Amino acid sequence: MPREAEPSLNEKQFVIQALQSNLRLDGRKFDQYRPLEVSFGEQYGVVEVKLGKTRILAKASAEVTVPYVDRPLDGIFTIATELSPMASPAFEVNRPTETEVLLSRLLEKTVRRSGALDTESLCLVAGQKCWHVRVDVHILSHDGDLIDAACFATVASLRHFRKPDTSIENGVLTVYTPAEREPVPLGWLHSPFCVTWSFYGDEGEIAVLDATWLEEAVRVGSCTISLNRHGEICQIAKLGGTPVEALSLLQCTSIALVRVKEFSALLDKKLAEDAKRRDRGGLLAELSAENDR
Amino acid sequence: MSSQHVLLSPAELSYLHASLSLQPLPLRPDGRSPTQFRPLVAETGILPGTNGSARICFADGTEAIVGVKAEVERTVQPFTQDTQTTQDEGETPAEDERRKEEVGGSDWVEMTVEIPGYRDDDPTTVFLGQMLQEALLADGEFTKRLRINGRFHWKIYLDILLISPPLSYPLPLLSLTTHLALLSARLPRLKSEGDEDPLFDDDWAASTYVYPRDNNKKDGKDGNNKVVARPPVTLLVMAVGNNIIFDPAREELAVADVALAVSVGEETTTTTTQTGGDDDVDMEEGSTPGKRRLRLLSVRTIDPPSRLTPPGVPNATNTAYTAPTGTAEAKTQDGARTLETERVEGVWKAPRGGAKVMVMAALVAKVLEKGGVADEVLDGLEAVDLG
Amino acid sequence: MPLDTSSYSLALLRVDGRRWNELRRINAQIRTQAAADGSSYLEMGHTKVMCVVTGPSEPFGPARVGRTGAGAGATAGASGGEAGVVVSIVVAGFSSVDRKRRGRGDKRIQELQSTISSALAASLHTHLFPHSTISISLHVLSQDGSLLAALINAATLACVDAGIPMTDYVAACTAGSTSTYAANDESADPLLDLNHQEEQELPGLTVATLGDSDRVAVLVCESRVQVSRLEGMLAVGVDGCKQVRAILDRVVRDKGRKMVQEGTVQKGVGLEDMEVD
Repeated sequence: MPREAEPSLNEKQFVIQALQSNLRLDGRKFDQYRPLEVSFGEQYGVVEVKLGKTRILAKASAEVTVPYVDRPLDGIFTIATELSPMASPAFEVNRPTETEVLLSRLLEKTVRRSGALDTESLCLVAGQKCWHVRVDVHILSHDGDLIDAACFATVASLRHFRKPDTSIENGVLTVYTPAEREPVPLGWLHSPFCVTWSFYGDEGEIAVLDATWLEEAVRVGSCTISLNRHGEICQIAKLGGTPVEALSLLQCTSIALVRVKEFSALLDKKLAEDAKRRDRGGLLAELSAENDR
Repeated sequence: MSSQHVLLSPAELSYLHASLSLQPLPLRPDGRSPTQFRPLVAETGILPGTNGSARICFADGTEAIVGVKAEVERTVQPFTQDTQTTQDEGETPAEDERRKEEVGGSDWVEMTVEIPGYRDDDPTTVFLGQMLQEALLADGEFTKRLRINGRFHWKIYLDILLISPPLSYPLPLLSLTTHLALLSARLPRLKSEGDEDPLFDDDWAASTYVYPRDNNKKDGKDGNNKVVARPPVTLLVMAVGNNIIFDPAREELAVADVALAVSVGEETTTTTTQTGGDDDVDMEEGSTPGKRRLRLLSVRTIDPPSRLTPPGVPNATNTAYTAPTGTAEAKTQDGARTLETERVEGVWKAPRGGAKVMVMAALVAKVLEKGGVADEVLDGLEAVDLG
Repeated sequence: MPLDTSSYSLALLRVDGRRWNELRRINAQIRTQAAADGSSYLEMGHTKVMCVVTGPSEPFGPARVGRTGAGAGATAGASGGEAGVVVSIVVAGFSSVDRKRRGRGDKRIQELQSTISSALAASLHTHLFPHSTISISLHVLSQDGSLLAALINAATLACVDAGIPMTDYVAACTAGSTSTYAANDESADPLLDLNHQEEQELPGLTVATLGDSDRVAVLVCESRVQVSRLEGMLAVGVDGCKQVRAILDRVVRDKGRKMVQEGTVQKGVGLEDMEVD
């Protein structure tokens, strides 16, 4: 099994000493993110997120399927994460590493278990037909802070996604093509975002946001906090690592809330821009005007 | 299995082999007699969340916990009653009147074995589970007890956990723990009648044992049936030379010529004797009531780890060793032949080939002997308080 | 089945009759198994776990590691200058009310393994045992909430029994809040040590702290909760951890005293020497 190349002792020392004198290698403040770029694809639900050199592509898709026997009134919603060898030689296909397991668990807890997507609205015919919404998250390039970027990409792709419109008449389900009827957005309840803190120092007294790959390699612990802009915690995960004062964790949470509000505003802005770009008038404009009623 | 990776030198192996094959009695490293079991600590009913549970600790520190869970399941109706292909061998005439309700399916029992550090689809784990399941299902008596009515039956889940690292071959430990867990297993009392949807008594105190208790407890259910059935036990027996050794420790198993897992059950009824199949061995014809009548349920050979041990190098072939006489060249030639063919006294060589039929027969006979080891083990288990 | 929390506001008693700041009965034993380097058994209410520690020892050969694969789960600081802490959790099929089997590939289990491994690695002096493995095997016998907390406590005790030098106990417990996340109700009380029913219905978190300090090694929250409630829950949780630590400490000291009385060890020898028996 190939292993990730470790940074040399000199590099480690350098990063740590810099952090101890309140400096980061790229000149950012401790609670500053790298510039976050979002671009939407031609298709609905395709989003590429760039956070510094970390690049993530998320694609949402939907298909009609049979609901689970134990949940006949709910649609199915899955998030699939893939860390391919493209991002780092340490990742192998079909062999989930610890990073991948933790990433997919965090996305699962943040987006799925917090009920961000209204799965009941995905039900078409109770117990027989429902939508299966699936988000594939591909890590194209890994330069730290995968979790925050992946979570942002997942939420963005789900909010951008439109599923085909459907109607039921006399028990016959019709799925319309985009030409017949404008696709409809998913039933979305709230937008959670992850904010990951990395800790440094013997007592974890230095806390840093959006660590790069090098910074992640030398951290002594991390804590991922998922919130939405209404100030609801969706999930907190400080999975071991060097113990950190409870008070500073509370402080981290309140800073995280500020960052989440920024994320939320950024995503709203980007989605609005994209909607404007797509609104070309003509037949599509008429149809969408109908939908606006 | 870590018992297969005993790190003993060829000299140690040779010493063990020699002392274990001593006549008339083998000399075991822990000073036990050949038929003596290691002392154990057992308790039952440790987990109130299960239908039955047991824990056994062997003196060498290996420990196992078994939990029994039962669920009601709808019986799949066969197309015709006659096409049922379940084991009818241990059938007694008493069952003839209950013809239509007689047998259960072997899928009514699900057994899983968990050994720390091993995947659950590891061959050793699967093999262990299969051996235990085979013994339990061999006579078809057990699944009969799980029948509720014509449409429903109990599905029993047996989860066998080895808590300690597998220091010695864990089969006997797991089997004894399973035995106790099944003995302590209780099912809610059935309130409904006939083939209607089953309804059970909520009162756990009124529940019935899967294996009814014997009549020295005041609430004996069957007055006429003196001997109460018990689940089977699987014992590990090995042979070194002409000696038969029970409950081998890890070091002993490392020099075994042959190792057998022998499953022994107890005859359910004392009234009639019927030899159903070739697996059925009656040891005592017409034994006195109250005496246990054993029968052989299954025999499996275990591949002893001794086959994988590295051989020693006799002096004759050892080039590093210079004997006072003979040139080195002649020695290597001679030695090469010796290595292939002969056993050199005091030099370890892994046993090859199978076991002699005589030895196998002796092994099995020794297990089933009246007042023998199986008897002793069952007696010991009876003494466990099934609170 | 929804939990009836309406009665709480009247009597201030929870479904199992506890007050808000009461722990369930914790019953723990160490040195439960003769063969292991360290072992423990821990009950928190009806949650029952067993732990066996092997090591620090030479790591298993490559063949073993390959076979156990993802099952053996998480390693921390695998090779190099420190000991790796390998945790494997077996959840018994009979542990919950309805029998449900979890494979070892289950991501939830893998997350638990990795959490426990890295929480303990921060307290254990792993740098004393380079190129070796401390293997912790946990068995869940019965589940009634606060599973992660019970697992961490059991693992800590077993590591103490194994005589592995460590900074302090890593003690864990859960905390919750009395009303569901939807209600933004300021008067909601924090709760200590959730059972299964409460865990299903109410927001809660698991905290593990190092020793008597306020330093949090593990903080896991898996339910939606108002950010304003975090402080109260965390405070109660940290306080609960201190209580748990006191209980664990008593268990270790009682066992030590007993062993001195029975003559298993001589009084005054260090933990290190207790291993030679």
